[in-house]
Amino acid sequence: MEEKELIRLSQEGNGEAFGLLVERYKAKVFNLASSWTQDRAAADDLAQEIFIKAYFSLPKFKFKSEFGTWLYRIAVNHIKDYLRKKKTRLKEIPLEEGKKILTAENEGRLEDEQVEEKRRALVQAALQHLPEKHRIILTLRDIQGLSYEEISCVLRLSPGTVDSRLFRARKKLREKLAAYLGQEGGEYGL
Amino acid sequence: MDCKKAERLLLRSLDGRLEDREKIRLKDHIEDCSHCQKAEREYRMILGHLKKEGVPEPLPYFNERLLAKLNVKEKTMPGLIWQKWATRTLAFSLAAIILIGGAFLILRPREPQQLSQVEALLLRDENPLTETQNILDARGPENRNMMLIFTAMEEKDSPRR
Repeated sequence: MEEKELIRLSQEGNGEAFGLLVERYKAKVFNLASSWTQDRAAADDLAQEIFIKAYFSLPKFKFKSEFGTWLYRIAVNHIKDYLRKKKTRLKEIPLEEGKKILTAENEGRLEDEQVEEKRRALVQAALQHLPEKHRIILTLRDIQGLSYEEISCVLRLSPGTVDSRLFRARKKLREKLAAYLGQEGGEYGL
Repeated sequence: MDCKKAERLLLRSLDGRLEDREKIRLKDHIEDCSHCQKAEREYRMILGHLKKEGVPEPLPYFNERLLAKLNVKEKTMPGLIWQKWATRTLAFSLAAIILIGGAFLILRPREPQQLSQVEALLLRDENPLTETQNILDARGPENRNMMLIFTAMEEKDSPRR
């Protein structure tokens, strides 16, 4: 069944049609939520809340944008609220701890997979230490893979602002990792 | 091209948003600039590591749990149901008001109008002219008496003149 038809039926309160929409988008919404919570159960709860919000907002959806973009907008706004409410309870990986791990493991040789995993953890930790607006735009572009135009719709920003904000966010992320990036030569250094 | 400009173009190029002419300019700059070569390596590594390995999956029975929550919310929060159907209800209400109003205007019973005397006589199957003649006839003696009075008064006054 076409997406428009599913949306129309869902707007009329058809639970089955909404279930099919959820099936199509749950992975993306869950993925977005999990990049903020770092916790599967919390991300699952967030994703459920986002879909509940979307269901009750469906009558307001006028087909002026893609359903996915509209859903992402709800998701991002909900995640922003969530972060404001539970700021202190977020499970963050302290950047300094990540540095210690890397340095300690520099002593011995690690398997490539382990090195990659450590690097990934460090980059994720650095991402979490960025200001909210930079985290959001990096998550949408570099984790979720949304196009500039889609990000522009989701965040209600001009394409020019998306371009400059993305540039600043990536630059800041690199600056956060500067201490580790300097450790060249070793296979564990970034 | 300076390194600052090169860095901006480099990040755009990683998104595949660079025109051919700019690509060549950037490539020329990076080939000669060790600082930007390092920046390119680092950015590629960072962006490559931003994505998590493997696509995370929600907990089991995601849809079932969600639909159950929706059912509970719908039952316990009538405000939400109203919000959900408000737009539709408003449109239907307006259409119904227009339809009922229009039907009322077209089909409403006409109020009985005040009939003129002539219409009343015609309705009673009487000739309005005959009736008028009767009225005039009834007034005839009165008029004659009045005329006599005036004539007598004129006759009284005439010798004085």
